[in-house]
Amino acid sequence: MSGVGTTGGALPAGAAGTSAGGVAELVSQARLASLGMLVAGLAHEINTPIGALHSNHDVLKRALNKLQEILADEVVEPHELDEVRRIVRAVDGILQVNDMAVERMAGLVRSLRNFGRIDGADVDFTDLHEGIDGTLAIIAHQLRHVTVVREYGSIPLVECQPQQVNQVFMNLLLNAAQAVEEGGSITIRTRADDSHVWVAVADNGRGIAPEHIDRLFEPGFTTKDSRVGMGLGLLISRQIIDGHDGRIDIESAPGAGSVFTVRLPLRYRAGTAGRTPDPEAT
Amino acid sequence: MNTVMIVDDEPMVGTALRSFLELETSYRVLTYTAPQVALDSLDSESVDVIVADFMMPGMDGITFLRNARQLKPMATRILLTGYADKQNAIRAINEAGLYYYLEKPWDNEHLKMVIRNGMERSALFTELDARVSALEAANLELHGFRRRLIEAFL
Repeated sequence: MSGVGTTGGALPAGAAGTSAGGVAELVSQARLASLGMLVAGLAHEINTPIGALHSNHDVLKRALNKLQEILADEVVEPHELDEVRRIVRAVDGILQVNDMAVERMAGLVRSLRNFGRIDGADVDFTDLHEGIDGTLAIIAHQLRHVTVVREYGSIPLVECQPQQVNQVFMNLLLNAAQAVEEGGSITIRTRADDSHVWVAVADNGRGIAPEHIDRLFEPGFTTKDSRVGMGLGLLISRQIIDGHDGRIDIESAPGAGSVFTVRLPLRYRAGTAGRTPDPEAT
Repeated sequence: MNTVMIVDDEPMVGTALRSFLELETSYRVLTYTAPQVALDSLDSESVDVIVADFMMPGMDGITFLRNARQLKPMATRILLTGYADKQNAIRAINEAGLYYYLEKPWDNEHLKMVIRNGMERSALFTELDARVSALEAANLELHGFRRRLIEAFL
């Protein structure tokens, strides 16, 4: 397997022949595109419970009308009892679905709040597992063709910018989902030591050619269909992780899948562009 | 008894449709969340109309309906999808012999009408098939009679 480690440093703007200002513009566009994807995903996720509730509302009205017709003459004939039982069965089914639908939507809102941390501080002690789970819920529609395995270790709360870090998880998980075929799997592993935490996203997809690995963080570099993305997900992810004084390591080989490992310090210290390369960089 | 099969990996969709159809119609309603299990059941179940979701784990709705067509060619096939795109609609029509393409969220009255029309279509096909079979059998019998007649006189 080929591997590469990325450390903090200036953006590889020159590698793609793009100016630093151009890169910033691209990154800004990519963030908007990413937000658009997120909204589209949520719209789809919420469509199922909304569709069920929409149907159930109509069925309840129909059920009530039928009951009113039966009760109109204030006498329930024996043959009408079967109809009443049928209505009760339908209403019972409806209530079960409503429970599921309401819980699904409440869960989505919880995930979204957790993903965006709209109620929290910029830098906070964060449960990364919660962030990963919330991200998985939000992009569930893009993961239907794969099995997601969570191999969570015991990790402490990590002081970080949760909204930003969740964005990285989303990028890595979407990349993995797009790399695997129907029936493939994505495994998320976490572990920690006294000073750092590691989150690895492994897939058993098509893998990355060695000549492409070094170019993964170039702005606009993508091997995907042009409709999939702008080729900036990893660049943004690296920017975010650099900003946390962390790093992203990649191991991959064609046909053997890929592993993207994020390493973050447990305590937040803003990374600086152009800093001394990490001695553990490979 | 007229039977509708509903295949959607979201249990809430199957249950909502079942509740509606059982309240409003006399159809027998079968619901499945796994397309492969639904396909396996087609060996033993008599089904007139099949309503399938598009995006399901393991097998997409178009592949499912294509396979269902092999097992139950007379059954009317309907796709009920949250992924409304023209390419998939064309693929479904060409590959699965789709009768109707419905989007989520669905309208109950419209869905009921589509299923009722699907039932009639399925019944007509079944009747046509039976009549063609009867015609073929009669034709075969006539051929045999003609052969015996010729043999008797030659």
